[in-house]
Amino acid sequence: MGITAAEPADQPGRAPVLRMRGITRRFPGTLALDGVDLEVEAGSIHGLLGENGAGKSTLLRILAGDQPPSSGTLELDGELAVISSPVQAHDLGIGIVYQELSLLPNLSVADNISLGGEPTRGLAIDDAAVRATADHALGRIGMSHIDPDRLVASLSLAERQLVEIAKVLTLRRPRILIFDEPTAALNHHDVERLFGILRGLRDHGIAIIFVSHRYREVLQICDVATVLRNGRVVGTVRQGEATLARLVELTLGQQGELTLRREHRTAGTGDPALVVRDLSVGAWVDRVSLEVRRGEIVSVCGLLGSGHTELARAICGDAPEVSGDVRILDASTRPTSPRDAIRQGAGLIPEDRKLEALFPDLSVARNISIASLGRLVVARAVRLIRPGRERSQVEDGARRTGIAQAVLSRPVMTLSGGNQQKSILARWLMRGCDLLVCIEPTRGVDVGAKLEIHRQLERVAQDGAGVLIVSTDLTEVLSVSDRVLVMYRGRLGAELDPSVASEQDLLLAMQGGIAGERAGYLEEAAS
Amino acid sequence: MSQAAAQAPSTGPGAQERLRGWAASYGIVAVALLVLLVCAGTAEHFLLPANLRNILLQISVVGVAAVGATIVLLAGAIDLSVGGVVLLAAVVVGDLAERQGLPIPVAILGGLIVSTLVGVLNGVLVAVGRIEAILATLGTLLLATGAAKLALGSGWIVVSDDFFAALARDRIILDLPAMVLIMLLVFVIAAVGLQWTPFGRSVYALGNDQRAARLSGLPVARVTIGAFALAGLCSGIAGLLMVAQLGIVSQGDAVGLEFEAITAALIGGLSVTRGGVGRVEKTLVGALIVGMLANYQTIKGVTPEYQQAILGGILLVAVIADRLFRGRPS
Repeated sequence: MGITAAEPADQPGRAPVLRMRGITRRFPGTLALDGVDLEVEAGSIHGLLGENGAGKSTLLRILAGDQPPSSGTLELDGELAVISSPVQAHDLGIGIVYQELSLLPNLSVADNISLGGEPTRGLAIDDAAVRATADHALGRIGMSHIDPDRLVASLSLAERQLVEIAKVLTLRRPRILIFDEPTAALNHHDVERLFGILRGLRDHGIAIIFVSHRYREVLQICDVATVLRNGRVVGTVRQGEATLARLVELTLGQQGELTLRREHRTAGTGDPALVVRDLSVGAWVDRVSLEVRRGEIVSVCGLLGSGHTELARAICGDAPEVSGDVRILDASTRPTSPRDAIRQGAGLIPEDRKLEALFPDLSVARNISIASLGRLVVARAVRLIRPGRERSQVEDGARRTGIAQAVLSRPVMTLSGGNQQKSILARWLMRGCDLLVCIEPTRGVDVGAKLEIHRQLERVAQDGAGVLIVSTDLTEVLSVSDRVLVMYRGRLGAELDPSVASEQDLLLAMQGGIAGERAGYLEEAAS
Repeated sequence: MSQAAAQAPSTGPGAQERLRGWAASYGIVAVALLVLLVCAGTAEHFLLPANLRNILLQISVVGVAAVGATIVLLAGAIDLSVGGVVLLAAVVVGDLAERQGLPIPVAILGGLIVSTLVGVLNGVLVAVGRIEAILATLGTLLLATGAAKLALGSGWIVVSDDFFAALARDRIILDLPAMVLIMLLVFVIAAVGLQWTPFGRSVYALGNDQRAARLSGLPVARVTIGAFALAGLCSGIAGLLMVAQLGIVSQGDAVGLEFEAITAALIGGLSVTRGGVGRVEKTLVGALIVGMLANYQTIKGVTPEYQQAILGGILLVAVIADRLFRGRPS
């Protein structure tokens, strides 16, 4: 591995600070962790990798004291330890910097850093001590330029993360710091700064567990990496032995070599349903061009933070700081709002169905018809909805997506995740759209509903619409798409043919692993 | 058949669920009937047609204003400007008809236009200016009240045209005066409009989840402004009815009417914190409960001070009962 930080040679701190033995965690119906053995050395950065659902989060929760293991033991510095609460994890010197930051935006940096353990003088909080703590913690990570009196709300995302780290460092004796996908929301420059801080902490003898989907960064920063698959450790690779291909192979195992798509459809011969030219979105998307033709399913696939979600949002007129061109069908302007995009012929299945798509208290039927109301009225001037027309069209949409007629009158929030997602699909089937943009269309949905939704998306394409899927789900992307575009650091890196590509190929490409003529910018990355 | 029969006994949670559903849907109607029975049983003359008609007359102004409050609450906002707008509309109607000597239809139109415009202003402040509804409408409440008092001057306006007096006096259908019929008509139009027009459905959607409404292609700003504009129009109609009821417009009229209107809506099961749930029909039931209790207490000689305190207590009980039956929203 390329980066040669001054390795403190053979310090006594190389002994394992954390040793997990046979850690198992059962949930009703699943085995989230199955006899995990893990050793983390003091003064090292230890990568923890695996697909979603491989068991990483459960492992972190056990370390954080959020939930106990069903069986197995855990030693800290050679002593048996039981972490039964977050407070205890804290006392044992285990700190976590979570993906979703936990700072309170309306408090100052200093207040946030001391939150929960405020130094007091008598009954009052000792403001001077709070400030001193913050100064010290920020200084430790070389971030003294952040004013402790500033409100967290005024900080950038990267700065907030630094404050979060400073907060973790106020542990009395930090031994193990866990970073859960810390780089997902950071730009290149901020990532480098973060890595500098991590190396500094490591050199102070702290063990760092670095959870990430970005294998290039793992290769760059980690001394050791452990890969989980289906709740088991499938491999631990040391610096020097690890390659991108090896990590990808471990992550996916045998199944990753299979190609999933049965047959190559002769799709994408229709007129363009979507043309994107040189689209940039803030710091997230960098001059992306792509086309989706009628009858075609195109996936844009990338790691969290690669910009693929922002791309989809921009196409639907739901992103700020957009430049470049988006043309839906024969519209003459870039959509400026989701409403605009929808009127131009788009349908949108957003990322978070609970917060962005569903009206939880309304019935399933009303959730389905909400995008088609204008079409259901008696006349343009008489804007009364015709109940019969509404019912028959809703029932038709429900039938096509496999929603039972009996649930149509129930509040949509009482349905399963799969049926909720089907209602959203039915909404757009009822309206009819020539371009369907789906962001993570089957996230958190059971297998049956997933297949059903995939079949529906194929039908939407067969009926002549263009479908754009934005997803981090490798299996999904390979099994339904006609073409797969891989996004890496805000740019389209590679295009894969899902009829021949394997999951390994795809994951490798998502890591920026295919260096072709269009991916010259990858060279800067460490290898 | 046999499958259905086998499933029938195991409806323990289902039955409870259904009871809850029933209570959430019709509980308020049951409460209204209970109040009616108790009042009828303990107060002589309560059930006399003249008294019942009187109750309906008494709630007409608040009832119409409560329709507006309901629409705004359903859209996930709140309108505190009702009292000021009602007074302003009444003053405009009185001024145009009595002081300017304009024809009655013109005066009425003027009052309705002014009140609707204040509603539009509320909507624009909230939807475009992104000011919280409670702040924006508190501002316009003071603005409208101040404007009304300025226009009124130090005195009052006696509205002597018989058209207004007739609204409260002449019985038209079912022995009911026009004022009551106007209120009922406003409720019917609102009930149909909220359920069976794209606008009404959008109001519900907006109150449920504004972001989802936006991503579903609904014109969020337009619907918000529309909801407030309709609330303004309702306040205007309420102002008109107030002129009919009192025959005079003076400074202290309609003070606090926004709270009475919102109270009726809340007793009917709406929520201040969670839009998109509830029905305007139940707001009418809420207004009837309030009206019956006020009337009952007047018959029994309870003074207005007590009446107000009792109303507050009833509101709290209603809201708590609603929470218990429906379960706390997660």
